[in-house]
Amino acid sequence: MKQKKLMKTATPYLFILPWIIGFLVFTIGPLIFSLIMSFFDWPLTADPTFRGFGNYIEMFTKDKQFFKSLTISLKYAAIFVPLNMIIALFLAMLITQPVKGVKIFRTIYYIPTVISGVAVSILWGWILNGDYGVLNYLLSLIGIEGPKWLVDPAWAILAVIIASAFGVGSMMLIFYTDIKNIPIDVYEAASIDGASPARQFFSITLPIITPTILFNLITSIISSFQQVTLVMLLTGGGPLKSTYFYGLYTYNNAFKHHKLGYASANAWVMFIIILFLTALVFKSSSAWVFYETEAGGAGKKKKGGKKS
Amino acid sequence: MKKRLVSILILAMAGTMIFSGCGGGGGEDDGKTSDGKAKIRFATWDEAEDVDTQQAMVDRFNEEHDDIEVTLEAYGGEFDTKIAAGMGSKDAPDVMYMWNYPAYANGLEELDSYIDKEGADYKENFYETLWNYNSLDGKTYGIPVGFTTHALFYNREIFKEAGIAEPTNDWTWDDLIKAAKTITEKCEGKKGFSFQMKPDPYDFEMYLWSNGTAYCDDEGNLDGNLNSKEAKEVFQMFQDMEEEGYAVATEKSGGDEFRAGSTGMYIYGSWAIDSLNEAEMNWGVVKIPSFAGKGPSASILSSSGLSISKDSKNKEAAWEFVKYWTSEELNTERIGSEQPVLYSVVEAEKMMEKPEYAPFYEMLEQSGDYTPASFKVERWSELAESLSLTFEEVFNPSSMADVSDSLDTAADQ
Amino acid sequence: MKMSKTSKVIIYILLGIMAVYFLSPFIYMLFTAFKTEAEAIAYPPKLFPAKWLWKNFIDAWNAQPFGRYLWNSILVTVGTTVGQVLSCSLVAYGFARFNFKGKNILFMILLSTMMIPWDVTMIPQYMEFKMFGWINTLKPLIIPAWFGSAYYIFLMRQFLMGVPRDYEEAARIDGANAFQIYWKIFMPILKPSLILVGVLNMISVWNDYLGPLIFLQDRDKYTLALGLAGFKGVHETQIIPMLCITIIMIIPPIIVFIIAQKYIVEGTSGSIK
Repeated sequence: MKQKKLMKTATPYLFILPWIIGFLVFTIGPLIFSLIMSFFDWPLTADPTFRGFGNYIEMFTKDKQFFKSLTISLKYAAIFVPLNMIIALFLAMLITQPVKGVKIFRTIYYIPTVISGVAVSILWGWILNGDYGVLNYLLSLIGIEGPKWLVDPAWAILAVIIASAFGVGSMMLIFYTDIKNIPIDVYEAASIDGASPARQFFSITLPIITPTILFNLITSIISSFQQVTLVMLLTGGGPLKSTYFYGLYTYNNAFKHHKLGYASANAWVMFIIILFLTALVFKSSSAWVFYETEAGGAGKKKKGGKKS
Repeated sequence: MKKRLVSILILAMAGTMIFSGCGGGGGEDDGKTSDGKAKIRFATWDEAEDVDTQQAMVDRFNEEHDDIEVTLEAYGGEFDTKIAAGMGSKDAPDVMYMWNYPAYANGLEELDSYIDKEGADYKENFYETLWNYNSLDGKTYGIPVGFTTHALFYNREIFKEAGIAEPTNDWTWDDLIKAAKTITEKCEGKKGFSFQMKPDPYDFEMYLWSNGTAYCDDEGNLDGNLNSKEAKEVFQMFQDMEEEGYAVATEKSGGDEFRAGSTGMYIYGSWAIDSLNEAEMNWGVVKIPSFAGKGPSASILSSSGLSISKDSKNKEAAWEFVKYWTSEELNTERIGSEQPVLYSVVEAEKMMEKPEYAPFYEMLEQSGDYTPASFKVERWSELAESLSLTFEEVFNPSSMADVSDSLDTAADQ
Repeated sequence: MKMSKTSKVIIYILLGIMAVYFLSPFIYMLFTAFKTEAEAIAYPPKLFPAKWLWKNFIDAWNAQPFGRYLWNSILVTVGTTVGQVLSCSLVAYGFARFNFKGKNILFMILLSTMMIPWDVTMIPQYMEFKMFGWINTLKPLIIPAWFGSAYYIFLMRQFLMGVPRDYEEAARIDGANAFQIYWKIFMPILKPSLILVGVLNMISVWNDYLGPLIFLQDRDKYTLALGLAGFKGVHETQIIPMLCITIIMIIPPIIVFIIAQKYIVEGTSGSIK
């Protein structure tokens, strides 16, 4: 009897055991190491020397770029996260429509996600070149003088957003899988009741997929703060440092200026910010995310009676 | 059921272990291969086909030495990230290509004692200027392998179309400006000259040298140098060219625009030669123009050397390989991808008679007296980042900042 | 579901507009890959190459030992995908379907591991793998995936939270234990999301070049993505070969995707009904 009870308490831990082992073996060491290094001056080619809170103090009091990059990344996240999610959801809805040939469109929307980031960034650099780029050439054919995308700071962040929205396919696929998981009879019941497609979307689809909305929201907040490859290759942080994202700032401190201790401090400050935002989102999620496992989810009643 | 799941997991795991292992082991690293040879890791920044050529050269070395085994590692444009990570974790390659000595010298072996052992003739056969670029604070950290200076590339077809004489080695900037004007006026949709909107500060200092100044003095003071009258003249000249519309400030190096035939001239290193030939262009190259009334123009040097890691376990073997890699034989073989750095080879191969290479050597010979700011200033990479922003502010058409104010502000840091 | 003609037309128009945005850069890339270097950068740009140079692809493929790289990429991709799908579903099941002490804290820690950028943990990670003797092998690229990654665990958990409680209650009455419920009942229901995780992981591993760059040394261990990045030099980028390899590299994931999307749909209708 005792053994059985022990087994019962142990079961959940057994399920998460692989992750716990992985965390202890692969993750926690490097994490703690980088936290410790954030209190050191570490020029990479020489041994680290302790400097207490020096890195953090420097960041908040002397380094103007810290606040600038932070603002840029916050701004980018504020535009990119909702925009990307709306596009992804919109596309996911489009590709679930029962029309002919939709499979082909599904693949088309997914192609850009498959293309390597390095090639995509270089390609966009060509397309968006102000003087000799294809986009402005096409615009000139219809009599519009295109902006200097990668030269004018006012347009550059938009250029980055356009180029990054290109890779929205993964998020689309996540929404798509979730929407496809909704049993068809839920909709059938609704259309018999005479609900319009828009109503169906807002009262059935949206509530059921709130768990994946939460997932996409949190992961895209994280990824927008860590955006490096695209800006490094497309804009190099320019023009006039207008796209010098926090991720690039951290990367450059580490690998260009060889200040690994300082970069670690950058990373941990970013960690605190993202953690705070995530906690905020999670706190709010109890009001808008509906899980089937919890009592009273939106789809609960409808599905509950179905299984027999 | 549970047991079966567990055994499936273990099996699958073991499967990947075996597949990914490829020999496995190697936890103990004593710098020896399994058959007792000294193991040398050699990192290059070259790409694609060039790596095959290098592999063949490495193979030959391995055949000639039964106690050393060199393995080639090719990192292309990601070279810096890899080397930085390697040094940070004390596992840098034994031998590596190197140019940025101020940033990496701490992790590199001093080579002066090795060089001395080879006798005086050894050192003297290298172009003298190159030693300055391969050392820091009087200590040598790399053996020169190749170099490039900058020179003025021009498109022969465009000059023909504009009906003007091609550039010569004794051009001044006034000549260039006049030609650029004519090209822009006569050739529809073309610009006479291009330069980078966001020039690398390391490169751009050469124009200041040519006009008799520099970013800083020997103590690293910017004020009175970066914002001197001569420096301001240089920036003003470039900004005027752009503003008056006969030069274009390019987003990248300007190579694409030049090869596309959209611009008539640009200044760049010998890296461009391969791609110009590939694009089947009719091009020429001459020395960088000088400033009227000033001495001959100067060029920055982009040198590549071969360095040994301070942490290498087989330094003697590494030196053996470095000597091989920088030998006359290999200098000769590399012509076409790397310009020889040995007097004897330049002479034997008649490099000075080849019109596409000669300007780079002439620029080398007249640029010996200058030391880039990166060798004088501590934390150059951070200064370079802020200088880069200042220069961009001056040349970016959406800001076009006032030259004098910008440089004064930049010098005050 | 029936659809009116007008709504069908609207849907096609929307599908078309989005397709232009997603497809045109790709088409431009595809056509450029067939051009000569000079044509590729010519201004004004032309869409079609003067001559379709299939040779570009052969040259690009031969510029580096891509056959070898392909094999390594397949090993790493398959190796991680199998591991990721198994471990993530297991861990996610634990987090989603049980209540236990410390669950919320552990889950928060799990999410936190995504928030520290790789730049600063890479060097200690390198030292650790060196201690294991894993440097210059494919192990650091494959084995950690067998212990789950926070991103996919989180994703799976969200899907699992959407499955009604009654599923395991019915099974428990039949006397099944927790692992049997997971394996026999939930794995089939989860097929679409398992495939989703597999597809997402495949794409990210297939295209990752930073991991291989840091942990590998010899060229015969390189992956396709690292070889591709190798066309980007310090000064000049060999754009045509780069585009050719990019296009070749797209093919396997697209084929997998086309097959997978069938199962994402089928899986659902087969299990819930």
